[in-house]
Amino acid sequence: MKIGIPRALGYYMYYPFWHGFFSELGIDIVLSGHTTKKMVSNGSSLVVSETCLPVKVYAGHVLNLLDKGVDIIYSPSIQSIAPKVYNCSKLRGLPDLIRNVVKRNFLLIEPTLDKSEPRQGLYEYLYESVLPLGITDKKRIKQASKAGWKCMNDYLLMTRAGVDAKTAMKNAINGKIEIVKDETNYAISAAVISHPYNLYDEQVSMKVFDKLKKLGVKSYSAENITQENMENGIKTLNTNLYWANEYEMTGAAGHFLTDSKIDGLITITAFGCGPDSLMVERITRYAKRLNKPLINLTIDEHTGEAGFITRLEAFTDMLYRKKRSDLVEILNRQVFHGDPDHARKKEELERLNSRV
Amino acid sequence: MKNKSISKEKIVSFPQMGNVSIAVAAIFRKMGANIKLAPVNNTETLSLGTRNSAETVCLPYKLNLGNYIQALEAGANVLIMFQAPGTCRLGSYASMADAKLKELGYDFEMVVFDMYKGKLFEVARKFKHATGCNSLSKTLAGIRIGFAKFDALDTIERNLFYFRPREIESGTAEKIYLSAKRSIDQAESVHDVKNIVRTAINQYNSMPIDKNKTILKVYITGEFFVLLDPFTNMDIEKELGLMGVEVERQVMLSGWTNNILLPKFIHKNESHRERAIKSASSYMTRAIGGDCIESIGDTVAASRKNIDGVIHIGPFNCNPEVVSQCILPHVSRQENIPVLSLIMDEQTGKAGFITRLEAFVDLINRRKRAKISA
Repeated sequence: MKIGIPRALGYYMYYPFWHGFFSELGIDIVLSGHTTKKMVSNGSSLVVSETCLPVKVYAGHVLNLLDKGVDIIYSPSIQSIAPKVYNCSKLRGLPDLIRNVVKRNFLLIEPTLDKSEPRQGLYEYLYESVLPLGITDKKRIKQASKAGWKCMNDYLLMTRAGVDAKTAMKNAINGKIEIVKDETNYAISAAVISHPYNLYDEQVSMKVFDKLKKLGVKSYSAENITQENMENGIKTLNTNLYWANEYEMTGAAGHFLTDSKIDGLITITAFGCGPDSLMVERITRYAKRLNKPLINLTIDEHTGEAGFITRLEAFTDMLYRKKRSDLVEILNRQVFHGDPDHARKKEELERLNSRV
Repeated sequence: MKNKSISKEKIVSFPQMGNVSIAVAAIFRKMGANIKLAPVNNTETLSLGTRNSAETVCLPYKLNLGNYIQALEAGANVLIMFQAPGTCRLGSYASMADAKLKELGYDFEMVVFDMYKGKLFEVARKFKHATGCNSLSKTLAGIRIGFAKFDALDTIERNLFYFRPREIESGTAEKIYLSAKRSIDQAESVHDVKNIVRTAINQYNSMPIDKNKTILKVYITGEFFVLLDPFTNMDIEKELGLMGVEVERQVMLSGWTNNILLPKFIHKNESHRERAIKSASSYMTRAIGGDCIESIGDTVAASRKNIDGVIHIGPFNCNPEVVSQCILPHVSRQENIPVLSLIMDEQTGKAGFITRLEAFVDLINRRKRAKISA
C-alpha cells in the first residue's frame, strides 16, 4: 500500500509523526520532490492569484505526486489544536480546496483534527487517516501512534539541541539520534521567525539559513526552543494563543526579543498570510518597545533572490555596527570598574572589528 | 467634584456597518446610555484606518479602526466590538485595535461582546457593563425595540429589492426606503416602528410599477461585512436594481441576529448557515471559519432555485473568501450557474466595478432569453 504526502505545509511540522505512524502500519509513503519553480507555477495556475504562496506550493506538490503515478494523497485538515484555538482558514479547508481545484482522478484521504469538537481528537483523526486504506483495528492504530510520537520526539530532541531541521528530519526517520554541535564562533546571532513550511522549503525561503551563515550570523528559529519558551514568549507579548500556529511566530518572537544573546530578528511572511499580518504587527510593536532590531521580509512567487540578499546584507551590517558600538561603550565604561568579563568582551569586539 | 463626575460619564461608540447602527443605537438609548457614533463609513474613515493598520489586514478592520478614531475624536470613551462565531481574523480585531489606539494616545475602555462565550445573556451582561444601566425593565425594553428595528429595516429593504427593478420612474422606491429608514431611526417605541413599516409597505404597493418586465434575479453572497455595508460594496444592490435586476441578499440582519443570539430551540426555520452546510456538502465538508461555506452553499442553493446568477463579494485578502473564490468556478461549472466574484479593497474604482456588473448582467440576460426561447 502506498500513499503520497506532498512535501509542503504539514510535512514540515508533522512529517516525523506521520512517518512513524504509517510505517508501523506497513504503509509506504511516497513524498513529492523538492519544490521547484515549475511546481510553484503549476500550483499557482490552479488557484486564484490572491492565495498565499504556501498553498500554491502545496497544490504544485499534489500535482507532482499525481504525475509520479501516486493515486492516493494524504491531505489532513488541522482545524484546531486546542479548544477555540483555530488554524488559518486556508489550512483548515486545504483538502476541500484540493478536491475542488485538482481535476484528476485520485483518492484524497482527508482526516480532520478538531480539538474544539468533543469527538474529533487525535485518535479519531488517526482513525480517519487509515480508514480509507482498510485499517480499522483501533488497538493497532494506538500502537502506531506511539511509534509516531517516538519519531516526532526524536526529531524535536535534535532540533532543540541545535541540529538543523533537515538533518534532524533525516535522522529521526532513520531512527537515529545524532547531535552534532556547530562549534564555530559567530560574531552575531539573529532569530528567524516564520512558519516551518516557509523556512525549511529552500525554494520558498531562498536558503535563508545558508545565506546568514555566509554572512557570519548564527541563526536561531522556533524549532530550537522548547514549548515552555514559546508559551512564555506569548505572555511576554501580552497576548493569548489565538492561532494554531501562533507558537512559532508570536511565541518564538517573544522569547527571542527578551533573549540577550540575540542581536536582531528577521520575520519572513508569505504575502497575503492572514494570521501573520496581525502577529507581525504585534511583534514589530514590541520590538520597538524592547529596542531590538527587526526586519520583515515578505515573500511571494515573484520575489527576486537578489533583492532578498541585499536586504539581508543591509540588515546584518546594521546589526554588526550596532553591536560594535554598544560593546565599545560598555568597554569604555568598564575600564574604571574592573569587569571580569572585560577580556571576553574585548575578544568579541576584535572579532567584530575584523568583519567591519 | 464636578470634573470627576464628567470624567466618569460613559460615552459609548461602536463601529458602523450598514444599518446595524440604527438598531444598536436604539438599544443603547433605551438603556439610558450616552452614545456618540462615528459618521457613516466614508473615504475619510477608510484612509484613517488604512494609515494606522498593517497593509495586508482585511478591509473591515481598517474601517472599524477608522470609526473608532473618528468616534474618539468626537468624545467617545467606551468602544464596543462585536465578535461573533466565525473564527477568522475577526476574533483578534478588538485586541489589535485596542493596542493601536492606546499607542496613538487615546484614553478609553474597550468592551468586547464575545459571542463565543454565551448568547443573549452574555450580550445583556455586556450591555449592562457598557451603559451602567441596572434596570432589568429598561434592558428588556431596549432589546425589544432593537429587535423590532432590525426586523423593520429588513422588511423595508426586502421590499426595496423587489420594487426597485420594477419601478417606472427611477428612484421612487429608494425615496420611500430612505424616508422610512430615517423615521425608524427616530422612532421611540415598538408601536411607532410597526406603524412606519405599515405605511412604507402601503407606499410601495401604490407606486407605479411595470408588471410585464422580465426581471433577472441574482443572489448576492460573500463576506458578512462587505454584504451589509453599502459603502464597502459600492451600493451593489442599487446599481443592480437600476439595471433591472432583483437582488436577494443572502444575509439579512434580523435573520442573523436571531440565529446568533437566541437559543437554538426557539427558531423554527432552517437558519442560513444550516442551509449552507447542507447544500454545500458535495463541495465543502467542513466549516473553515468566516463565511466560506455560506458562499458556496448559497451558490448551490441558487442553482436549485432557478436563480439567474450569483454575485460573490469579499474584501481583499479575506482568508475564507480566498478559499471560496478558488472553489466557486468549479461549483459554477458543475451546477451550471453564472458566478461573478468581486473583491473589494481601498483601491477599487467605481467605473471598473460598474463595467463588470454590466457585463455580468448582459451575460445572464442573454442566457435567460436563450432559455425562454428554447
